[in-house]
Amino acid sequence: MSSSAEAEHRGVEEEETTGGAVEDEDTGAQIAPIVKLEEVAVTTGEEDEDAILDLKAKLYRFDKEGNQWKERGAGSVRFLKHKKTEKVRLVMRQSKTLKICANHLVIPTMSVQEHAGNEKSCVWHASDFSDGELKDELFCIRFASIETLGMHVADLIMK
Amino acid sequence: MALPNQQTVDYPSFKLVIVGDGGTGKTTFVKRHLTGEFEKKYEPTIGVEVHPLDFFTNCGKIRFYCWDTAGQEKFGGLRDGYYIHGQCAIIMFDVTARLTYKNVPTWHRDLCRVCENIPIVLCGNKVDVKNRQVKAKQVTFHRKKNLQYYEISAKSNYNFEKPFLYLARKLAGDPNLHFVESPALAPPEVQIDMAAQQQHEAELAAAASQPLPDDDDDAFE
Repeated sequence: MSSSAEAEHRGVEEEETTGGAVEDEDTGAQIAPIVKLEEVAVTTGEEDEDAILDLKAKLYRFDKEGNQWKERGAGSVRFLKHKKTEKVRLVMRQSKTLKICANHLVIPTMSVQEHAGNEKSCVWHASDFSDGELKDELFCIRFASIETLGMHVADLIMK
Repeated sequence: MALPNQQTVDYPSFKLVIVGDGGTGKTTFVKRHLTGEFEKKYEPTIGVEVHPLDFFTNCGKIRFYCWDTAGQEKFGGLRDGYYIHGQCAIIMFDVTARLTYKNVPTWHRDLCRVCENIPIVLCGNKVDVKNRQVKAKQVTFHRKKNLQYYEISAKSNYNFEKPFLYLARKLAGDPNLHFVESPALAPPEVQIDMAAQQQHEAELAAAASQPLPDDDDDAFE
């Protein structure tokens, strides 16, 4: 099934297709809630930006002490361009939980290199702001296909 | 009950107790949520480790204090003491090891002796492994006890958010509660001098030659 057909199918029958697995049945446990929560306005922090790129990928961070790559998250990586300042940043969110796994400015001095062992991946250094404080990180991103990497990202970052 | 890493926060927080046999993946599951990493190496938990884990929902930010307990009897420590004031729980077993499912009733009994009437999720972990010993149809314990059951994989992330989502909904009594995007604050500008830049590039070159863990799957769900 092509991914667009699948997406369409999901849109129409979301309840049945995503909630249909046998393990998803609610056994109907009757438990008194212990907090009352009110709906709040959701701010993504991305309201003044446009997504100029949005791709599925897996992100790794380099653990310098252990001298190894560790998974950081899998989900959507996006380049967001600010409507006024035109600054571009990279924001990646973990799928399902929507938590931030990368959030940094894309600046001219950033150099992006190919990962030696995996042609679908590339590596770079960033001052990452995921946790609300700046941290030096070495990131590696891996896409499902080399076409994705080649056509979209390399073009965009390297120019 | 306050522990050093259990500082109070100005949003709702809940004590979540995670139990189950040793090696079923409790610590790996918690770590996966905390940092994104997947730890293959097995190091038994001694006693208990408490980790704060935040989620953003349409009803604001919430926190689970995850009490990741030792599954191995010999490292069990206080046991009942860990369960006190537990507000919700996860019981984990390993679908590739039948005995870990057989022991679920014992974990459930011990837990319920201390924590009455709390929402509990039963998790069958490692469903990514081809050679399962406990099939989905053979899992029936949750029906008798009104537990929620999820098949999960800490490795592939299959259903990995579901246990927390279910517990949050029950604790708040809101079946429509869902996770939302956490605010991505604007990163401040950074000045990088030549020396720092050169150092980054040297580190990068070295890192680029290290292999990626688990780079054989092409599905990023």
